[in-house]
Amino acid sequence: MLRITGGTVYDPANGIDGEVKDLYIADGRFSSKFEAGRTIDATGMVIMPGGVDVHTHVAGGSINFARAMTPEDHRRTHAFIRSKTRRSGIGGMAPTTFATGYLYAGMGWTTVNEAAVPVLSARHTHEELRDIPIVDKSSLVLMANNEIILDLLEEGEDERAKHILAWHIWAAKSYGVKAVNPGGVASWKYGNDAKHLTSKIDGYDHVTPGTIITKFAKMIDELGIPHPLHLHCNNLGAPGNVETTLETMRHLEGSRAHFAHLQYHAYGGDDWGNMRSEAAQLAEYFNAHPNMTTDAGAVLFGDTVTITADGPWQHLLYKLTGRKWGNLDVENETGCGIVPYTYRPSNLVNAIQWAVGLELLLLINDPWRVFLSTDHPNGACFWRYPEIIQLLMCADYRNECMANLPPNIKNKISLPEINREYTLYEIATITSAGPSRALGLSHKGDLGIGKDADFVIYHRDHDIARMFGHPRYVFKGGEIVIEEGDIRETPDGREYLVQPSYDPEIDKFLRPLFEDRYCMSFENYPVEMERIERSQIQDCITPESEG
Amino acid sequence: MGGKVTCTLGEVKQRADFIVYWGGNPAECHPRHFTKYTLMQKSKFLPRGRKDRTVVLVDIRETKSAKAADHFLQVRPGKDFELLTIMRAMIKGQDVPEAQVAETGISIEVLRDLIEKMKKAKYGVMFFGMGLSMTRGKHMNAAALLTFAAEMNAFTKFVAMPMRGHGNVTGADVIMRWQTGYPFGISLNRGYPRYNPGEFSTVDVLVRGDTDCAFIIGADPGATMPKPAIDHLAKVPTIVLDPHVTHTSRLSRVHITTAPAGIAAPGTGYRMDEVPMPLKPALNSPYPSDEEVVRRIKEVIATKPDWMTNQPQMIESQV
Repeated sequence: MLRITGGTVYDPANGIDGEVKDLYIADGRFSSKFEAGRTIDATGMVIMPGGVDVHTHVAGGSINFARAMTPEDHRRTHAFIRSKTRRSGIGGMAPTTFATGYLYAGMGWTTVNEAAVPVLSARHTHEELRDIPIVDKSSLVLMANNEIILDLLEEGEDERAKHILAWHIWAAKSYGVKAVNPGGVASWKYGNDAKHLTSKIDGYDHVTPGTIITKFAKMIDELGIPHPLHLHCNNLGAPGNVETTLETMRHLEGSRAHFAHLQYHAYGGDDWGNMRSEAAQLAEYFNAHPNMTTDAGAVLFGDTVTITADGPWQHLLYKLTGRKWGNLDVENETGCGIVPYTYRPSNLVNAIQWAVGLELLLLINDPWRVFLSTDHPNGACFWRYPEIIQLLMCADYRNECMANLPPNIKNKISLPEINREYTLYEIATITSAGPSRALGLSHKGDLGIGKDADFVIYHRDHDIARMFGHPRYVFKGGEIVIEEGDIRETPDGREYLVQPSYDPEIDKFLRPLFEDRYCMSFENYPVEMERIERSQIQDCITPESEG
Repeated sequence: MGGKVTCTLGEVKQRADFIVYWGGNPAECHPRHFTKYTLMQKSKFLPRGRKDRTVVLVDIRETKSAKAADHFLQVRPGKDFELLTIMRAMIKGQDVPEAQVAETGISIEVLRDLIEKMKKAKYGVMFFGMGLSMTRGKHMNAAALLTFAAEMNAFTKFVAMPMRGHGNVTGADVIMRWQTGYPFGISLNRGYPRYNPGEFSTVDVLVRGDTDCAFIIGADPGATMPKPAIDHLAKVPTIVLDPHVTHTSRLSRVHITTAPAGIAAPGTGYRMDEVPMPLKPALNSPYPSDEEVVRRIKEVIATKPDWMTNQPQMIESQV
């Protein structure tokens, strides 16, 4: 048993905003009583629930492709040295698996959601997730360009499509569904894209991106998947794409939806020269529609590597930058693109992107619906989150940073007019309580009795980036994993799955289609349950459980 | 230059209407490849199967694979890089001196015709083998082909893929990447991964005599490596894990027979397109799996004092 005394607690899930409060821990969970055991005096320190990353790319074919493409970065960046209890690894733009666990835990994050998994390589993703220590994990399966499902939607066989969707969620041993550039990635197979909700999708006459999005959100709600449709909208990164994003939001009224990395979808103008932020317009719509959550996908200046299932966008980025280009088309299912990228403050487009990420975080007024993310590693690496927290909490620091932007950015962004500063309570909400709720992980991001004892103790510090980058203690399941920057324990995390119900006869329907399109045995396609170590199946939402 | 524009094999099966093999002989080296993945399959997009596909072979000699191809281009040995570079120039409409073209052994008319066909394809794929990547120019040849495929995307969809073999070599590459950041040629002797092919690759370490022990799992360097490397293996304590007694076993101090993966031991095999396949053993073996042997050796090593002490947990920068 363990007792933490005297700390100032920020626990948004229970409405606790900076109260001095003792915490008791037994068997990895918060407890109402303390009998005997160690006491840690946290007087004067800040206590928050452990961070939860709703959208990151840390395991599987795409990040591993990025690792292969960036040895020059591995060579210059920080390296973990092995010991009897720790594995070695490389940090940087695309950290190795062991380093990923150490780096997340090192800044107080204890749960991560890998946001893009093709079913075909899900077995690989789970093997990598198993090698990420300390943190708990979940993953989302890429389905919105799956041609078997698109064919069914084309034919109006929505009910069957729903069973097929549920079958795939379980086959991939995933936690939810990710939709990336719906229809656009399927079109990319023949070198095309689908930028707008009414765009033609290669090979289809009726189904459009708009149809896919609305039908997927509906199917996911009907299946009761705890996390809603996790959507990477069409037309990512392009000037003027705010229209597509708003149109997508209108399509989703009445459904739950999570908008991934909204920063990349909030631009006005019609070319790179007159591109401007439309974060204010987007935030206004978003604020008025409580069915949606989002993560920022904020950008920080510096080197990174962009990875996404959005193949056509990455081809464009390769053409724009002339840098290395990785592309992987995955049969029947999806795609993947990799391009190393440097965000420069002197580059007007990059400067606007930097501002848009912060504007969204500052202009969306409900911290329960907007979460901290950089779409790691796309906007910046996850281990730079403390820098974003500083930008959110200190308007003066923000203004200092803005002085380095190109002068012609004036009137293209609204950040200079925003004075809001996040409070610690709001930071605890956007980094932990909010994303836990959006993921449907009710035992996370909450310091209440019976919840998982994943939490962080920080020194108070006027240097906010230092405070959040160097916690005094990090606890995972009630165990001290980090103490003053030292990795103490490296327990294996759990993996969360869902098992939506589907008609068992769907196998018979799927098998011939599968055999026609794929080149492996149908039996070898689903990931076997015994391959997931420390799995935990979360309940789907039923009408009864909703009360 | 750099990167890789590729796909999984099912995409080739479904969509590839233009297939190039460069420096590879799948008819003899990947005997199931044509029928299972590339030439013979029919699909929604290529309903007539082989008739809907154009197949080109580029090689220095007319191998058995040439029979399966519609067009065979016999490149002069050692001229692959030049030919690839000329084709990269030609797709962009740049002028190429005919004398330089002639040196490759292929006529400019043949190249013009080929490029026209490539640009008309809907989904092209270039497979390349060791005849490209392990001959003069080595990785520069592979880089030229990968760049060629990337650049073809200015005109139509094109991808490229190495024709890999030798069991689960792709699996080793994939796992080394997620654990260390690098695919091969890795040194861990400072307690963290460093990468330098040519310095830390197995053959280089052995030829220099830099290692005082060798642990070989499922490979037979004693049969394939140069003599100085083999001599060094015989000199130091070499331990071999293999289902068979290999050339390396014969010069090792210890050979441990293990169950063959996929036949009598489970696991994951990564196909050459990096698709992970479950290995489901059909037979029982009296021998332990490689994994079990490695785990047991590791358990014993863990009881010994750590030779690398007083190291920091992390270094901020390696340079």
